[in-house]
Amino acid sequence: MEYILKNGIVYDPANEVNGEKMDICFKDGKIVEDVSADAEVLDVTDKIVMPAGVDPHAHVAGPKLVVGRLYRPEDERRGVAQKTKVTRAEAGFSIPSCPTTGYRYSRMGYGTVCEAAMPPLEAKHTHEEINTIPNIDINPLPLFGNNWFVMEYARENRIDDLAAFIAAMLRVSKGYGVKIVNPCGSEAWGWGMNVHGYDDKAPYFDVTSREVVRALAKANEQLGLPHSIHIHPNDLGHPGNVPTTIATLDSIKDIAKSTKASAGVRDQTIHCTHAQFHSYTGNSWKDAASGAEEVADFINKNPYVTCDVGQVTFDETTTMTADAPMEYDLFKISGLKWANKDIECETAAGIIPCIYSPKTPVSTLQWAIGLELFLHIENPWQVCLTTDHPNAGPFIRYPKIISWLMSAEKRMSMIDNGEVHKWASKRTGLAGLEREYDFYEIATISRAAPARIHGFQDRGALTPGYNADIAVYDINPNDFDPSKDPEGVEKAFSNAYYTIKDGQIVVKDGDIVSTKQSHTIWTNVIGYEEEEKQIIDSIMPFFTQYYSVKWENYQVHDHYVPNPTRVDVEAK
Amino acid sequence: MKTITFDQKKTSSIALEFDELITDNIYSWTEEDFAAYKVPVGNSRFPITDYFDITVEGEAESPAEVKMILNGDCNRVKYIGCKMSAGEVVVNGDADLHVGAEMSGGVVTVFGNVAAHAGREMKGGKLEIMGNTKEFCGASYIGEWRGMSGGEIIIHGNAGKQCGECLVGGKIHVLGDCDILAGIHMTKGTIEIDGNVNRWPGGQMKNGNIVIHGKVGRLLEGFVEQGIVTDPELDGIVYPGRYIEYKGDIALNGKGTLIIDAEKNRDRLSTWIEEDDEYNAIREYRAQ
Repeated sequence: MEYILKNGIVYDPANEVNGEKMDICFKDGKIVEDVSADAEVLDVTDKIVMPAGVDPHAHVAGPKLVVGRLYRPEDERRGVAQKTKVTRAEAGFSIPSCPTTGYRYSRMGYGTVCEAAMPPLEAKHTHEEINTIPNIDINPLPLFGNNWFVMEYARENRIDDLAAFIAAMLRVSKGYGVKIVNPCGSEAWGWGMNVHGYDDKAPYFDVTSREVVRALAKANEQLGLPHSIHIHPNDLGHPGNVPTTIATLDSIKDIAKSTKASAGVRDQTIHCTHAQFHSYTGNSWKDAASGAEEVADFINKNPYVTCDVGQVTFDETTTMTADAPMEYDLFKISGLKWANKDIECETAAGIIPCIYSPKTPVSTLQWAIGLELFLHIENPWQVCLTTDHPNAGPFIRYPKIISWLMSAEKRMSMIDNGEVHKWASKRTGLAGLEREYDFYEIATISRAAPARIHGFQDRGALTPGYNADIAVYDINPNDFDPSKDPEGVEKAFSNAYYTIKDGQIVVKDGDIVSTKQSHTIWTNVIGYEEEEKQIIDSIMPFFTQYYSVKWENYQVHDHYVPNPTRVDVEAK
Repeated sequence: MKTITFDQKKTSSIALEFDELITDNIYSWTEEDFAAYKVPVGNSRFPITDYFDITVEGEAESPAEVKMILNGDCNRVKYIGCKMSAGEVVVNGDADLHVGAEMSGGVVTVFGNVAAHAGREMKGGKLEIMGNTKEFCGASYIGEWRGMSGGEIIIHGNAGKQCGECLVGGKIHVLGDCDILAGIHMTKGTIEIDGNVNRWPGGQMKNGNIVIHGKVGRLLEGFVEQGIVTDPELDGIVYPGRYIEYKGDIALNGKGTLIIDAEKNRDRLSTWIEEDDEYNAIREYRAQ
């Protein structure tokens, strides 16, 4: 099938197209230069055309989502919608059901989402959930930061073995890249402890967070994986965590980016996720303040670092993370119901509801810090739009965040009218920031930059040969001032005029008109097969002794990934 | 004033859902509108006129000017008055789940028994039940930690388990007996029970008041006896008589108040304080 999107106003940062009126053609699921006269014409005159959105960090599938849904049935009744001829019934707000997740991303014009924390032991289940999420492709990141084998290799500086282990685990779990969460901290939680600071040691392992992160970064670059290490640093959410954050990012400075072609798309060697939660100064919440300027300044000076923000959206949501000790801290503060999950020898997780209210000082401080990061980081290719869904807010609030970024007037009115707590002006510099994003920058932080950061070579741009993942929004940027009409921005980005996924129209006028099976994007390392075999043989005695499952049941077999997009990496 | 009368023609084994048929939505409806309306029944919809003869009398310009009368056995009609903000609903018979749930204003009166979740997460208004209720009256939705927050529920019969669970405001008055765990997890508001209570009232309560005029089966260990109080006043209301006062639930560092009739629960005093004359003092007080 051939289509031509006619007369749209195109924003395609990867190809440096900034608001040009042009046609976009696609055929058989791919962007093409031209189509025949028989092509179906989709008239998008004076409407915004962008590549479909890419979410670089969210939690949409996996065991902690299931725990969240099970213990928060009250969340499921929010956002209920009846089934239609195309869609299944929808339910859930902060932790929507799997089909609902796909529909809602589609309505916003998104096409790809990174599932940011997949315990390898629970990878099978994660893939089962991915298979039930329609319309979006998903690349899951396995967790490595507290894996017992990883910590041993890091302690002994066995980078070659670690690289082989990563290659094996990506194959075994059908994962995409290296995710690190509170390195050594989640392991410490098994002993009721945490690590505080980058140079604390995991109990009984005699290895520090620094050693684990550096070892994983070296192994990642040795393999030339498409994505860099993707880190949730230590001390998340604790006042005074800026030094830990900067120490973590700075520690990678001397590690050169891989020269392999597979890593050639990205610029960074470390991606710091939900940076907002890692940008607090002070010693306690009594004197906490924004450290956004300091963190942003570091990122501005160091192009090897990228981040996503994890913007707070003032909602009642559900926090869920592999940083289990942090969730326990949150439980002690809020007293709300708390669930904990331990993944043997690999990681842990905590889940707890959280209410971000604009009337409370801490929530407002977090909100303002997130926006400060967006506005202080000069290069939009180094920052991505996320809410760390659902931790700082549900992903359906992305359009609202876009409206805040595009309108200084809106931000100021929220501060001046008392819509948010006074800490926004007293403890952050948000009130003094007049920068406003334009549509080109919005397209960068929500499409082009996340795609480049994840090393995708088939999406995030309207380049011929790329997947025909396209979003059209009903705004004419030539007679629309986003700074004066934030509600209009939010409405348009919430309901895509068209969302096209692999050349198939899945959304029209904000309604789901068709659904499509998701692809699972995973990384296949080529050239390390012998080392992988050796490393698996070497860990097998330990695995057999301590894991509660057999290796044969541990692996994600091909039928769990019925619709794969395999990214081959020539590691040697 | 507009009166909309639903006279039952036939019952359904699968529950009808009335959450769309509330005063806020139907105050301007005519009989023709009702004739065209299909009510949810399970996963399908059927004409409401299959189940009820509907008569509309008078005019209304707002929900407050509507009186909705349901005649018949509505024990398979769910969500009556759910989320209504004004007006009046009268059920001349039994009602199914979620009567008056999440209502914020108006009055719902049921002249029969109701199923579970009556007045769930009610925010305002008045719900009066002439018969008995089942579990979770004035409670929260499953998993939710904020239950009824305002308004008043009066139950002339008995209440089921976990009445007033997670109560955060408003008042529940049970004129009959109450099953286990009344006021569990409550943080504010008042539960008054005229009859007996099975067991464990106020489990894990953090604040608020529970007044029990009858006999209490078993108390949780997290309630600390404060002594005998006479004509106690709670939130501006005086409860005449002598009561044993407890504070709890200390398991959660709670500061809730639980007062139970001293005379009817004298065994509790005689067991705990055998040497003093509290028991005799109560008898003397009663004899006066």
